[in-house]
Amino acid sequence: MNLQLTLAWRYLNGRKLRTFLTTLAVVFGVLVLFGMNIILPTMLEAFQVNMMAASGMVDVTITHQSGGAFSPQVTDKLTGIDGIHAVSASLNRTINLPADFVDHDSARSDRITAISLVGVDPEAVQSLHVYLIQEGGRFLQAGDAQAVVISQSLADAYNVKLNDGITLPSVNGNVTLTVVGILPPRTIPGNEEVLVTLDQALLMTGQTDQINTIEINLNTTDETRRNEIVADIEAALGPDYKAGALEAGSEMFAGLKMGQAALNMFGALALFMGGFIIFNTFRTVVSERRRDIGMLRALGASRRTIVGMILAEGLLQGVLGSAAGLILGYLFGAVIIALAKAPLNLFIHITMGAPVVSPMLIATAVLLGVGITILSGLIPAVNASRVTPMDALRPSVAEVEYKRRTGITFIAGLALIGLAILALISKNMGLVGLGGIVFLIGLILVAPAFLRPIAYVFGKLTALLYARQGTGELAQGNLTRQPSRVVITASATMIGLAIIVALGGMTTSLSGMMDTLVHKSLGSDYMFMPPSISVWSSNVGAGPDLVSQLQTVEGVGDISTLRFAAAAINGSQPVSLLGINPETYPRVSGLEFQEGDSSAYTALAEGRNMIVNGAFVMMTNAKVGDSIEFITPKGPQSYKIVAMATDLLDAKVTTAFISQANLAADFDKTDDIFIQMNLLPGVELESVDAQIKAIAADYPQFTVIAGKSYIDQMLTLVKVMFSGMYFMLAFLALPSLIAMLNTLAISVIERTREIGMLRAVGATRKQVGRMITAEAILLASVGTAFGILAGLYLGYVIIAAMSELFPITYSFPIGGILAGIAIGLLFGALAAIIPARQASRMNVVEALRYE
Amino acid sequence: MSVRNAILGLLDQHPRHGYELRAAFESLVGGEDLWDVKPAQIYTTLARLEECGLVQTTSDLGEGDEPGRRIYAITPAGQAELAAWYQTGVENGHQRDEFFIKLMLSLSTGNANPRRVIQAQRSKLYQDLHSITTRRDQSNPRSELAQIFLLDKMIMHIEADLRWLDLVEARLDEVKRQPVPEPEIRPRGRPKKNDVMRKA
Amino acid sequence: MSIISTQNLTKIYGSGDTAVTALDHVSIEVNAGEFVAVMGPSGCGKSTLLHLLGGLDSPSDGAIAIDGKPIAKMPDNALTELRRRKIGFVFQFYNLIPVLNAVENAALPVTLDGVKPSEAKKRAIEWLNRFGLGDRLNSRPDQLSGGQQQRVAIARALVAEPNLILADEPTGNLDTRASDEIAALLRKVSKEFGRAVVMVTHDPRIAAYADRIIFLKDGSIADETILEPQNGKNAAMVAGMMKEIGD
Repeated sequence: MNLQLTLAWRYLNGRKLRTFLTTLAVVFGVLVLFGMNIILPTMLEAFQVNMMAASGMVDVTITHQSGGAFSPQVTDKLTGIDGIHAVSASLNRTINLPADFVDHDSARSDRITAISLVGVDPEAVQSLHVYLIQEGGRFLQAGDAQAVVISQSLADAYNVKLNDGITLPSVNGNVTLTVVGILPPRTIPGNEEVLVTLDQALLMTGQTDQINTIEINLNTTDETRRNEIVADIEAALGPDYKAGALEAGSEMFAGLKMGQAALNMFGALALFMGGFIIFNTFRTVVSERRRDIGMLRALGASRRTIVGMILAEGLLQGVLGSAAGLILGYLFGAVIIALAKAPLNLFIHITMGAPVVSPMLIATAVLLGVGITILSGLIPAVNASRVTPMDALRPSVAEVEYKRRTGITFIAGLALIGLAILALISKNMGLVGLGGIVFLIGLILVAPAFLRPIAYVFGKLTALLYARQGTGELAQGNLTRQPSRVVITASATMIGLAIIVALGGMTTSLSGMMDTLVHKSLGSDYMFMPPSISVWSSNVGAGPDLVSQLQTVEGVGDISTLRFAAAAINGSQPVSLLGINPETYPRVSGLEFQEGDSSAYTALAEGRNMIVNGAFVMMTNAKVGDSIEFITPKGPQSYKIVAMATDLLDAKVTTAFISQANLAADFDKTDDIFIQMNLLPGVELESVDAQIKAIAADYPQFTVIAGKSYIDQMLTLVKVMFSGMYFMLAFLALPSLIAMLNTLAISVIERTREIGMLRAVGATRKQVGRMITAEAILLASVGTAFGILAGLYLGYVIIAAMSELFPITYSFPIGGILAGIAIGLLFGALAAIIPARQASRMNVVEALRYE
Repeated sequence: MSVRNAILGLLDQHPRHGYELRAAFESLVGGEDLWDVKPAQIYTTLARLEECGLVQTTSDLGEGDEPGRRIYAITPAGQAELAAWYQTGVENGHQRDEFFIKLMLSLSTGNANPRRVIQAQRSKLYQDLHSITTRRDQSNPRSELAQIFLLDKMIMHIEADLRWLDLVEARLDEVKRQPVPEPEIRPRGRPKKNDVMRKA
Repeated sequence: MSIISTQNLTKIYGSGDTAVTALDHVSIEVNAGEFVAVMGPSGCGKSTLLHLLGGLDSPSDGAIAIDGKPIAKMPDNALTELRRRKIGFVFQFYNLIPVLNAVENAALPVTLDGVKPSEAKKRAIEWLNRFGLGDRLNSRPDQLSGGQQQRVAIARALVAEPNLILADEPTGNLDTRASDEIAALLRKVSKEFGRAVVMVTHDPRIAAYADRIIFLKDGSIADETILEPQNGKNAAMVAGMMKEIGD
């Protein structure tokens, strides 16, 4: 209604500072939520652009459920299916290119960081795709060796012309191919297809007689008919194959998803805090305007009109806050993406474009921002509608006292805390996030019961500090007199600090774990690092040649390699399979065991046994001793879990370790994607370095690193990552400052008349200022005490839940607690500055007149 | 007293005829219905003033064939008297109150309900207040301010009387409980010694 | 025709030992165009009476009819509508919305009733002009004097054209001169515009503007005085009075 909006707008305008602070809370929540959710899709899109081959004009693409390769004979199953127009089998592999591989210029940033190697049957593929070869060139022909067709844009990047050679990494070292045809430039940069014959592709990837993609064109455009044909195709191929787009990197996706869940929890907490601030503001607004509201009721405003009026204010603030939050969130996302560009390029080797914003995300962020504001205003609004017209007629302003049934709220609080703990035990990430919020609400409900004693103790302390002024006692009296308001104010601090301390505990524990893992997993003397160390599938490994060459170097001791195969369980859940050499792996590298011990390595060699990581256990709910069936290119195979352990690089990806023999037998993978080796005792690094580097020169896909220096590099990186986390913590502390500032400012406004009275009876400006400061510090102390307790507990429970997945133990975050106390008290004092000034500068006469 | 001083004050302004004095007085208080002064009162007062030597008369020969009239003027003694009057506060009116007699009688004799007496008095006062208020409302503050002031004074007096009534009514039960002051029957002749003692 | 009619109106607060009878079998009638003052010591139940008449509170016993309609058992929504259309309120503290200007404040009841804003404004301006506030239309309450604010409040009470105006100590917060203005204005409202006006006051001076004064004591009517309109006897009365005061 018009009137309600007018009133809302005018009222908001009348209290600009408060409106600003309250709206800031909404801004912040939306900012975090929106910004964070921009980052992930942007990464994903970059990922897709980089990794996924464009399927072109193809109607149906068939891949194996595991994402792995399979026999070309599978295409035979398609003959006889009615409606198929053409079939082309191919081998598609993403090949990550090392830095400066294409342009040999370290000054320029790489435009092309990965290519799609596509091995095709030249005749079959042309029945599906039309290749517009530029003048002078030709398409591939059957039997072409070392021939390649590339796009103009890739040719430009390589700076080659027709019939020149381009170099690509392969399992057998660098391979030079002759460009026989050039296609028009690609419109989307970064997704370059390199076409070779299937035989050539097999040679380069170290595989024999395998394909991983079947492309099919249908002879009809009728939707129903097409669905029938697809169903026929799926029936003919069986459940191990799926029709659809090529799904590379689903492990990566899972990892990012988990990150997003964590970030969303972060945003939700921020919004929760925002809602809290708004609730508090509206609570004050209603008590301030008790008479206005009563008068409106007397004039014939219905209850709904009153609720509408308060909610209109919420709506306005929500809309304004969300709008500002969207803009700032976008900037925030863009800044984070810009900052993350370099490390991401280094780690998972993808290049990110501009931030991706989906309309859905905007809608969700706005809905959440506005929704929470309105929701938070609801209780105060309903309370406002209960104001009777009589209130307008009474000359004295009565305090809005919320019905507090201490007993019931206390029990409800305990129940909520219990629920939160149950949620944490459930280990479901979504529930854990929700549980965190429920836990905090529970604490807020329980808090009043503890308030009096805590305020008493801290009050006595403050009284000691300000012994002469007597303001300490006054402040303490103010606190215990209105427990509901104090609890709300202190809760803002509590939530902020609980989050800080909990996350602090988490990061301390995590960094401890990372430390152990880094030393264990990367403890070898030399490492051959692929371009991406978390998305194994996009790496081109090396054939057995490389290892045998390395073994000939004098002074080289044990060599351990990792081999990778994509696999699937339970139908289509992707799993990373890492093949290790059970004999050398424990000597060079090592897993951190959570269940079982190193005897599991020998078990790997003795049959279809596997060691799985925490993520695997979480996904499958399997225990040690269970058998899990994998979908392999050669049919289903059961592996038995013999232990549970984690290494550094695969901690968050669903991973199983099996022997390399089994990987070769069941998954046809024999290329090494990660190599670690130790030198014989007494051998100096310098004596072998040149030889090793020389051998590695043929395999540019690997970066050769001397292990010890890498550990240092890695640890620095971990530190950088964690300092990022601490930055986030500080980010969360900010809204808690706003919340405290807000609630304190409001508590001063609420008591304007009382403060005026104090001044009138002779309190000096200084004394009033001190009283407010003492009160703020008291509040902060109460909030800090609760926040630290809550944070410790939350952190501990979260780590306890995580220890089921990772080899992690809870480290007591002493630093976090100290920081928490410092932040809490500092913010308390900071938050007091403005209200204290306001209070001491108050005009006595006006204050007394204040209604 | 006030009419006497008013005449002195008006004559101090300039010498006047008797009838002129009456008109000047009426315009001063805001109208004849507010403060009605009879010509006789004016002339007796003038005569008294002349006796005291505060005013002196001169005969004014009328123009043409009009009869001569007496013109009154203030003497220095009169001016001194006037100055003294200005400088001293006006004696408060004595509290001889008819209603008080009525109330005390009803209390002591019991032949009327004192509460009803109060109510009747209050009704009367409110009726007066209502009338004066109405009158005051009809006065034009631009031209009749003096009149309004006088009405205001009346209003405030009545207000005070009404408040006093409330006060009496509120403590009526208390005053009823107290013994009515009986007049002391004084024995004839000389008072006995102990009577004198008691009085002291 | 009687605008207000109550029979044995009784209001008891609390129960058992702590029960307080604020109003005890009060029966009154107020007619259109009549200006009634309710007086009495504090705690006599005069405010309670006003609240009951305005449908702000419900009686423990007895009946009230406003414009012939019984309201004692009306549900909240119906009462809200009644307040909006049939009754105008004037409060001691004016109770204007601080963020709205004079016109917007005066227009509130009709705006709340869903009248078009332009029409509501027009009506509010009419009343404000009648009350001599034509030059203060866009002023916020804090820019107006107490008397002006109360005049805006009276305009607000009248804007929905109710037959009944209830005023609770309308001059309680004003100086003597402004009090007189407001009381005269309320009298004008009853005489010129024909509304029934019921005013609670403790100020005899203000009560004297009324046609009738009801004295409440301990929750029941102690006395009632009908004030005769000014008549011929008046001049004599005033003159007599002067004798008492003056010489």
